[in-house]
Amino acid sequence: MGKFLLLAFRNVFRNRRRTIMTMIMVGGGVAGLLLVGGFFARMFWGLRESTINDGLGHIQIFTAEHFNREEKHVLDTGIENWRQVAGTVSTGGHVRGVAPRIEFNGMLSNGIKSGVFMGSAVDPVAEESLGFTPRLAAGRDLETKPSGEVEALIGAGVAHSMNVKPGDGLTILAVTSDGALNGIDVQIVGVVNTGFKEMDDRYLRITLPSAQRLLQSDRVTNLVVGLDKTESTDDVAASLAPRLQGLPQQLVLKKWIDLAAYYKQVRSLFSTIFVFLGVIVFFMVLMSSVNTLLMTMFERTREIGTMLAMGTPRAWIMALFVFEAVLLGALGAIVGVVGGNFLGLLINHAGIHLPPPPGTNVPMSFRVLYVPSLMIGSSILVIVSLALAAILPAIRASRLQIAEALAHV
Amino acid sequence: MSHLAELNESPQLVGVEAVTRRFPLDHNFVSALDRVNLLVAPGEFLAIAGPSGSGKSTLLNLIGCIDKPTSGRIFIDGVDTSKLTATRMTALRREKIGFVFQTFNLIPVFTAAENVEFPLLVQGFSSKERRERVAAALDSVGLSARANHRPDLLSGGERQRVAVARAIVHRPALVLADEPTANLDTRNATQLIDLMHDLNRRLGLTFIFSTHDQRLLEHTDRIVRLTDGQVVSDAIVSSTLKSQTPNEGASHGQVLTASV
Repeated sequence: MGKFLLLAFRNVFRNRRRTIMTMIMVGGGVAGLLLVGGFFARMFWGLRESTINDGLGHIQIFTAEHFNREEKHVLDTGIENWRQVAGTVSTGGHVRGVAPRIEFNGMLSNGIKSGVFMGSAVDPVAEESLGFTPRLAAGRDLETKPSGEVEALIGAGVAHSMNVKPGDGLTILAVTSDGALNGIDVQIVGVVNTGFKEMDDRYLRITLPSAQRLLQSDRVTNLVVGLDKTESTDDVAASLAPRLQGLPQQLVLKKWIDLAAYYKQVRSLFSTIFVFLGVIVFFMVLMSSVNTLLMTMFERTREIGTMLAMGTPRAWIMALFVFEAVLLGALGAIVGVVGGNFLGLLINHAGIHLPPPPGTNVPMSFRVLYVPSLMIGSSILVIVSLALAAILPAIRASRLQIAEALAHV
Repeated sequence: MSHLAELNESPQLVGVEAVTRRFPLDHNFVSALDRVNLLVAPGEFLAIAGPSGSGKSTLLNLIGCIDKPTSGRIFIDGVDTSKLTATRMTALRREKIGFVFQTFNLIPVFTAAENVEFPLLVQGFSSKERRERVAAALDSVGLSARANHRPDLLSGGERQRVAVARAIVHRPALVLADEPTANLDTRNATQLIDLMHDLNRRLGLTFIFSTHDQRLLEHTDRIVRLTDGQVVSDAIVSSTLKSQTPNEGASHGQVLTASV
């Protein structure tokens, strides 16, 4: 068997130019998949981390009611004893911190013009400890002031439409937990650029005590848990769940992936694109290799006839061609993996930036991740493609009429 | 008593019985062989001679079980090949027949030794036995020193000797050689003829070869002449065969013709 494999190996290098061309073609396919897949992986990683670090956190805790029914009044499905819950969660392993949040909405006015806002109330210290810092376009982040002065961050779109800047004031109105209308004056301390225009046009952030005063409630909407690393999410969620049992309110844990709808949409879209690309590469390698392998078969017709005349089983001839193709695919895959990673290295060092993706205004860095599973998957893809491409030439070779094959010129 | 009649009474290695082979040509058929009969005893050194297109190669292909007759039967070592399945036919070729081709047909990516080893590989011989047999075969054709050379580094004569070594390495009952000297110069052709004749005498191998090379015919014990797909003569031309067959009337150099 060893000699037979040696024959296949030497046959691969019989026509070096053609072998090199095939290896380049196969390698190009693999390298292409690695670069695109590596870019997508880097994009997914970047989107995941930015989604988490922009405030989503790794885990969020809500009351079960929050998902079971619509709120009649603001915060009536909120967490009541949130300080106790936060204390319990904070003691868990891998937990960096817990930040309480209130999500609310209402109207704001500069005295001349009014608009709606989507507000969030945060504990600036807890947020900062978790690294959840807003992307400031101007001004500074919120601070908790004992004087009771209410500070606010607004989106760039709000600032533009209200014609305000840091230092200016706005009045915000919201319905309290009792259903009454309440209003407070806020001082704008910073303008935020979230990267999403629709968000920037509605964005308002104030401190948690200010919101609780505005909404007349001590509850919070949810607790955001930050971990030391994203990979710990599943383990921490599993260990936290039993510790939140037996409290007056039934609480539920949501992992970041359950809440990151945009991330999931992007990932699904680009994964589909990548699969489509893989299919194209598969068929590109398949079709071009069939031609090359058929040419090889025709060139070796007399040799195959000789082997058959000497009593070589036809299955051996088939196996020889398929093995040669697999070998060629494996060599092409090696070329592709080495070439693709080298190109990736060059790209990563070049510091290329792409235009902002749709819906954002932040340029995206073009970087490629090295993904071992992608290297293995792409290699298997082209090897399988070449093995399939070899089937037709292998069948033809094994079915040659010996006398005709020996007379082949 | 005719030569064939005598051969009929001795055990035969090859028997060709009323074999016809037709090939399609456009909308008609052309007969390459027409009701050919032939018997070959073990140890014979037999030439099939005739002009181009007379059916020499076709007859060799049929005897070598690499083609099938349109009608008639071929026996190899007592086995009716028309009744064999493709797999058993392959096994018969593998075990009983060695081939030498006009264009050598060596595997170019294998060395001389590896080419000679190939039939043993296909037959599943052990590594040790392969090594021993290859060394012996290359030694018998005088190419031990060239064992590790690839075919492109060998002369035409050397290549054909490698092909002969490959054909005899598994000790087949029959060696078929199709125009083995056609691509060789006189010196190499003479060496090859001597080599094959020597192997025939020394090892008792049966050689059947097609040729129109007069040099080869001069060294042949028995010549079967074909014209237009029919046997026109079958003659013993040397005393070698005489001693192996009951044909007591044949003497060295005497030409005997038998109708088939």
